[in-house]
Amino acid sequence: MPPPFGDHVVGSFRILQFESEVSRALAEDTFLTDDLLRQLMGVGEVDLLVGIYSHSNTSTTSHTLRAIERSFQQHFTRQRAVIVNTCGGDKDEGNAAAAGLSNVAEKNVRLAESASLRTVHQVTGDFSAPPSAAMALRTILAAADLLRARACAVVSPATTNLTPDWIANLLRPICQENVDFVAPLYTRHKFQGLLARNLLYPMSRAIFGCRIRELYSDEWGFSGRLAAVCLSQDAWHEEPIWTRPEAWMAISALSSDFRYCQVFLGQKLQTTTGPGTDIVEVFRQTVGNLFWCLESHQSAWLDGERSEPGQTFGPDHELTSEASDLDRHRIFEMFRSGVTELEPILSSILDPETHAEIKSIVSLEESKFKFRSDLWVRTLYDFVASYHHAVINRDHLVQALVPLYRGVTFSFLVEHSDSSPAEMEAVSEGLCLEFERQKPYLREKWKAKVEVKS
Amino acid sequence: MARQTDNLWYKDAVIYQLHVRTFCDSNADGIGDFTGLTQRLDYLKDLGITAIWLLPFYPSPLRDDGYDITDYVSVHPSYGSLEDFQTFLTAAHNRGIRVIIEMVLNHTSDQHPWFKEARSSRENPKRDWYVWSQTDTRYEGVRIIFVDTETSNWAWDPVSKSYYWHRFFSHQPDLNFDNPAVLEALWEVMKFWLNLGVDGFRFDAIPYLVEREGTPCENLPETHAIIRDLRKRLDLAYPGRMLLAEANNWPVDIRAYFGDGDEFHAAFHFPLMPRMFMSVKLEDRKPIIDILEQTPEIPNNCQWCIFLRNHDELTLEMVNDIERDYMYDEYAVDTTMRINRGIRRRLAPMMDNDRRRIELLNGLLMSMPGTPIVYYGDEIGMGDNIYLGDRNGVRTPMQWNGETNAGFSTADPERLYSPVISNAVYGSQVINVDSQKRSEHSLLRWMKSLIRLRNSFQVFGRGSIRFLDPSNHRVLAYVRQFGEETVLVVNNLSSSAQAVELDVRRFKGYIPIEMFGRNLFPRLGDLPYLLTLGPYQFYWFQLRRI
Repeated sequence: MPPPFGDHVVGSFRILQFESEVSRALAEDTFLTDDLLRQLMGVGEVDLLVGIYSHSNTSTTSHTLRAIERSFQQHFTRQRAVIVNTCGGDKDEGNAAAAGLSNVAEKNVRLAESASLRTVHQVTGDFSAPPSAAMALRTILAAADLLRARACAVVSPATTNLTPDWIANLLRPICQENVDFVAPLYTRHKFQGLLARNLLYPMSRAIFGCRIRELYSDEWGFSGRLAAVCLSQDAWHEEPIWTRPEAWMAISALSSDFRYCQVFLGQKLQTTTGPGTDIVEVFRQTVGNLFWCLESHQSAWLDGERSEPGQTFGPDHELTSEASDLDRHRIFEMFRSGVTELEPILSSILDPETHAEIKSIVSLEESKFKFRSDLWVRTLYDFVASYHHAVINRDHLVQALVPLYRGVTFSFLVEHSDSSPAEMEAVSEGLCLEFERQKPYLREKWKAKVEVKS
Repeated sequence: MARQTDNLWYKDAVIYQLHVRTFCDSNADGIGDFTGLTQRLDYLKDLGITAIWLLPFYPSPLRDDGYDITDYVSVHPSYGSLEDFQTFLTAAHNRGIRVIIEMVLNHTSDQHPWFKEARSSRENPKRDWYVWSQTDTRYEGVRIIFVDTETSNWAWDPVSKSYYWHRFFSHQPDLNFDNPAVLEALWEVMKFWLNLGVDGFRFDAIPYLVEREGTPCENLPETHAIIRDLRKRLDLAYPGRMLLAEANNWPVDIRAYFGDGDEFHAAFHFPLMPRMFMSVKLEDRKPIIDILEQTPEIPNNCQWCIFLRNHDELTLEMVNDIERDYMYDEYAVDTTMRINRGIRRRLAPMMDNDRRRIELLNGLLMSMPGTPIVYYGDEIGMGDNIYLGDRNGVRTPMQWNGETNAGFSTADPERLYSPVISNAVYGSQVINVDSQKRSEHSLLRWMKSLIRLRNSFQVFGRGSIRFLDPSNHRVLAYVRQFGEETVLVVNNLSSSAQAVELDVRRFKGYIPIEMFGRNLFPRLGDLPYLLTLGPYQFYWFQLRRI
């Protein structure tokens, strides 16, 4: 069952409870444990590295590990490969999940039929601090750097239908095409992934000029070069990347002229654990992260123009038509009440003209309501600029966007209740172009001197 | 000397494989002979080997390097006489060296008198000594072994207007073991050589002795019955002699040829060989561990024979397609190096003449379970000539010195049975016995010390093996144990320095003594034992509790 609002973004980690501890751990100069270092010594140089965060997904971790190992055996028989399982404080769980790997992979296969030439290494890394995706990724990047891995991927145990082919598809462009960042593409039903469709993708595409549909995903690939660059950056202590470091990594790649591509993986099924059901938390993790990335990578996009299509392996997108069980009326009511309640805050964020238009549509009847795409883009750009100028607390600012997104979602659901996937795709493309068209507006507001209101 | 009279002598042996033709020419006709070989026995004694395996030396048209025999109880005139052989045999025995000869049971040459008689008419008494058919569809589906040269296992005989069965070249008709007279005739052949004093036979092409419709015509129960019969006769009349099986099969299939200790005394472990090469190239112990874990226990009186290279191609029959492609890509990138399903190269060129890798592989050969076989010339790092056709590139004259014909012969170079290797890297001016004898750090000197060390400990030939499982998969470590002898072997399979931690708690309190230098290492304790190894370095530690 998809999460409310059709958002596909489901993280593997619970909301951080001990942020200060995470911050301290990420700031440590030496964050690799002696035990992990000892395991890495045993592995030596590798060609391929696949990392997983197994925290809180022990039940599905063994499936993920087997899929990775089978991928190595089927698709990369000659390459030196390692699986890095970061289990965030409970190594025993990670080990338990990994137990039986060799049994399954090796003992049931007669030697003559075995495809694996090499040992498939598996190392398990734990950290004493509370788990965070950033710490797990940093551990994986450090392993990749120390082992001089050429091609790497991260996959999620929360994805229950991960196949060996997915791993191969993520790694091959790096091995064969010298790509540095590989983003996934999934089959979606048409009301799934609306946050990506209406905000994350078109905005990142317009601003960074690179077309990556799934900037926030649980599966992606990257080169050893990119791993080394990201590892050396001084961003690990920044809160916005703690939970969704993958987008920061992607944007770091896009901002530094690393080559990127997208690969089609197919339909994704996943467990429903994590913060995906809490739209506010999802906004903090994704939109907040994107806004922070715009801030931290501004030199890379401020002077950029239109986006260019990137290389894609497989279909560019695939939508299936399925009925939506979302409660539109409730969404509209939450939009209306939210905007009303946040009136003072919105006035400090939005341009007066934008704010006036928002207020005018809030008063519309539900049946006549429509959130125009040009207004939505302008609203978002106002939010981005205000985030940049820190007109209010940035976390509050991101949360204030949630009611407006609900309005857009309601409008989208109504407009496309009977649309075909092709029609929806055409509309989405129009939204992307609107983001690109209004980019000068964002640039102007970004560079403007703003008086911060208290 | 107790070991010299031990009926299990083959378990402690270090066997040296050679062809009389290739070793030393005493009469300047360009072809090696028994007199020349006898003259070189002191070299072999000095090398430390304890047995010689002679490739076929029987009269033959030599269309398959002597495996096409025309007379089982004589010596090919090019190699000398029966008296020369007897002299050689006595001289070898006087030096404590045993002699193993070839027994080609499966087939003869089509020039053998038996076959000439058999094809002469369908009524001839020898007709049924071979396998005949009026069609070429019997035993359909049976694989062809020499895929590069043969298209069928049947060949048409225009004389008797019938097809005859051959698993190898068409000029090598298979004998019919369903005819008891064939077995009796071959037992007479064996007795002839046993009475002369040979110490063992290497039985060629064993899996193919018997044919049955609807089967792969390999490893059939009837074949095992034949072997048991011959073994029984051998043990009764000639105790202490041995039978060595050539069966290029998986260990579990070869295991059957040991029976209950009543078939072969020893058998080649074919699948291990390519995996040693694979492990070194992959820098990963997995291929070796995998195959040895699949190798079943064998009776106490039996032994595996292991080798790196031999007179044939480096066979890739016992690997899967992925492994074969890998071996080709890594060791035979020039397709001229490939033949049948294998690689026709010698050890040193395959190792790019890297002394460290050559030593590592020989170290593995001498320390793994089984009796090692050294192919002539590999002890000095001889090269090959892949342009000579068939597998002749690994059968060139032994390189004794830097003089004309490498000291192999005083005949004109044009008269030699094969040109001597003469290139700048492996030519006889560079690679030869005399120069390596004079160099303290030569491969030959090193091989002598390695063999001497192996000969000093029965554990290598008879001991159990237990693999350690350090996290560093570039390191292959195992413990050999036999009685009071315990040896820890640690091999770095990689081209770079490695650190490894070994769990040797069960040997807590033992003192490791590095066996080449006799140096003491820190005593083993409860903690993981840390070792660092240079590229391709290996250690042999004798573990002593003092």
